[in-house]
Amino acid sequence: MIFVEFLIKRILQGLVIVAITSFVIFTLLRVIPGDPVRLIVGGMAPDNVVEEVAAKMGLRDPILVQYGRYMGNLVTGDMGQSYLRPKSGMIATGGEYVDPTKSDMAEVWDLILERVPLTLQLAATALVFALLVSLPIGIAGGLRSEGWPARIAFGIQSLFVSIPNFWLAIILILFLSVKWHLIPALGYKGFAYVILPAIVLAVEISPFIIRTLTTSLAEVMQSYFIDEAKVRGLPRRRIVFGHALRNASVPLINLLGIQLSTLIGGVLVVEYIFDYPGLGHLTVVSVVGRDFPVIQGIAITISAVFVFINILVDLVAYMIDPRVEL
Amino acid sequence: MSTPILKVDNLTVAAGDNRIIDGVSFEVGNSEIYGIYGESGAGKTTLGRALANWLPAGVEQTGGKVLFAGHDLRTTGANRVTIGRDIAYIGAKPQSALDPTVPVGPQIVEKLLMVQPGLTRTEAKQRVMDLLHEVRIASPEERFYDYPTKYSGGMMQRAMIVDALCADPAVLIADDIIRPLDVTVAAQIVSILKDLCLKRKMAVIFLASSLLALRLVAGKVGVMHEGRLIEEQPVETLLTAPKTEYTKTAISHVPRIWSSNEFPEDRGRADDKPLMEVREVSRTYKVRKRGTFGQFNHVKAVQGVSFDIMPRENFGIVGESGCGKSTLTRLLTWLEKPDSGDIRLGGTSLANFSGRELLDKRREFQLLLQDPYNSLPPRVTVGRMIEEGLRLRGTPKAEMREKVKEAMVSVGLPTSIYDDLPNALSTGERQRISIARALVLDPKLLILDETLSALDQGEQSKLIDLFAKLQETKDLTYVFISHDLAMVRKVCNRIGAMYFGKMVEIGDNKSIFFEPKHDYTKALLSAAPTLDEKPFDAGELGFEPIQ
Repeated sequence: MIFVEFLIKRILQGLVIVAITSFVIFTLLRVIPGDPVRLIVGGMAPDNVVEEVAAKMGLRDPILVQYGRYMGNLVTGDMGQSYLRPKSGMIATGGEYVDPTKSDMAEVWDLILERVPLTLQLAATALVFALLVSLPIGIAGGLRSEGWPARIAFGIQSLFVSIPNFWLAIILILFLSVKWHLIPALGYKGFAYVILPAIVLAVEISPFIIRTLTTSLAEVMQSYFIDEAKVRGLPRRRIVFGHALRNASVPLINLLGIQLSTLIGGVLVVEYIFDYPGLGHLTVVSVVGRDFPVIQGIAITISAVFVFINILVDLVAYMIDPRVEL
Repeated sequence: MSTPILKVDNLTVAAGDNRIIDGVSFEVGNSEIYGIYGESGAGKTTLGRALANWLPAGVEQTGGKVLFAGHDLRTTGANRVTIGRDIAYIGAKPQSALDPTVPVGPQIVEKLLMVQPGLTRTEAKQRVMDLLHEVRIASPEERFYDYPTKYSGGMMQRAMIVDALCADPAVLIADDIIRPLDVTVAAQIVSILKDLCLKRKMAVIFLASSLLALRLVAGKVGVMHEGRLIEEQPVETLLTAPKTEYTKTAISHVPRIWSSNEFPEDRGRADDKPLMEVREVSRTYKVRKRGTFGQFNHVKAVQGVSFDIMPRENFGIVGESGCGKSTLTRLLTWLEKPDSGDIRLGGTSLANFSGRELLDKRREFQLLLQDPYNSLPPRVTVGRMIEEGLRLRGTPKAEMREKVKEAMVSVGLPTSIYDDLPNALSTGERQRISIARALVLDPKLLILDETLSALDQGEQSKLIDLFAKLQETKDLTYVFISHDLAMVRKVCNRIGAMYFGKMVEIGDNKSIFFEPKHDYTKALLSAAPTLDEKPFDAGELGFEPIQ
């Protein structure tokens, strides 16, 4: 079947993509300046201690050897252990020496699993917010592409696209949280904590949704079959919602697949600002601390999610429009 | 005739100050097929749309009335007459008439349920299914769930007939519905439509740009010219005794196949060697089999075709859509390479040329396409478009401009449009740009893939004259690939007939049209709509149109 063939092909492609991503991340981490061992053992430790620990951790082996070892563990489901985070949850710093080769460090896999649901929740809420705003504006703009709804759509998307996310985040925290005490802002203790960061992300992605929807809907509304639908006796509501939107949604769905990368980029900043304990937050902390295993684990997870969502996007597009090539 | 179901009274339609329909009046009764003849630009389509209360934005009814069973469509009738149920419309673009993302059957059912809310889904589906049977769509149970892109033009037009007739309309407006179809398919569609109309006592307004099509269906015919109905007569009387000069000219422009003894001039010379030799070329396409894993159907689009093209001749290739004409065009122009066989230009096989040599050789054989709207870039000036081929080959600027202007003059384009965009140009002018674009390269061979079929009769004859003139002055050779038999009869010295990828017969004009040997050639000729007496009737030869 065409579906099975498609799935097999895409999953194989996906594996290659994940392998390439992990290799690039793996190599770059070891090539760029910044030695994790120095951070682990502390600035005052003598050089021979640093070298000793590094050798023990295998960090002085050739990169290919290290990569081979890492991938070998990965296929058994082992992403390694964090250099910095003990199982207790405290972050090890240079001050107190924790031996990263010992088994009391947190498993990378557990760290990621713990945060993925929180980030997914944030991303999904942001997407829902973005769609709630963009769909009505985009549809109105697409249907009246010469009139004021299109101008409003254009105004809103220009405004949104020019707002820097960190600025908006600070403003929202300042007013909604600090001054008026309406919505909590920092950390995570329940769903209410998702709202503000989700708004910031939604503002970031909705201009693209509005733009794509207005142009593709306006284009579909020009097609002959929409015009002919009137004389065939279909009411306008049916023409717009049953046929025009259906056709206009294919570019939109493709866009959402690509938007995912914007979303991930946004999540990094936004989670850090709101101290939201998701994958983005973990990434930033791990990069600062040169926590190689965690960074690698996140990179692999994200590229796998990316591959999966894009397969899904192509399948949905195909189900809507059979002319889309699988 | 009983009381007319549709009465048009002094109808005037205008776009701003420009009157498109100017005081048109006529009546149509039940079971009557009323034909309206008009060239493109006469206002037919606007009239058709006005009758269905479906004028495009910016075009308005400024006077007169359209009465359906006594109700004015725009006032009292707006509530009583349902467009799609009481008045149905079929247009000339069947393949873009339905949503491409929804299967055909369900879309017709959707429409039926919208205009007749009382029906259940099952009843509606049953009715659509019955009608699909009635218009002779093969295995409608499977076809019902196929997407519009899986339908051929002829099948889609039949589906659109079902779509129009499923709600039992009292009036049907058919706007040039067979224009895009092959002759054999068109003949079928027309006879199906005629049967159904009589059976259902429907009134039909049949708008057409071909007198031949009207002769097949219509009772009374009105002739439309510049927005006015200039005469109205039963179709046979109209053809034999037209009242106006305009109609007389129109009839004289209808090409004849058999009632003329003239044959196109033979410009060949005794010592001519073939310009292009086509030897046993074949091309097979792999098409993925639906519902299988990695299996393919092999479609033999062109199979072992051989012929020669001689200098200064007009070689015609005829056949229905799907017979392999387009693939053969792509092979002749070396846009695609044949799987086997050989094409030689001036004695050398095209396969032997390197990329650089091929670019140079391509000057000698140029392709002209059918649709001058899609084949010209909309945001490039006319001059730049024509000079493109020269620029590609590094011609100096001054020489380029000179050559472009010369080509524009020779195809009859004013050089004043050199720096204009093509937006405002007519179909004929656009097609002249295509010709000029080929001519600047000093080609020897022009391959015309349905190049004339987008044009109306008058413009077509002008271009045919232009081609003849260019042939004389520039020693050109033409290959006409066409389904228009009358045009081929008028222009081509030798003709090849294609059927299912094979060249079934090649002969000179006289032998193909007057003594065809292959049964398929006879079948094709007998389906051609014409005003002549046909020398043979091959209607029962049992050739199914390719779908």
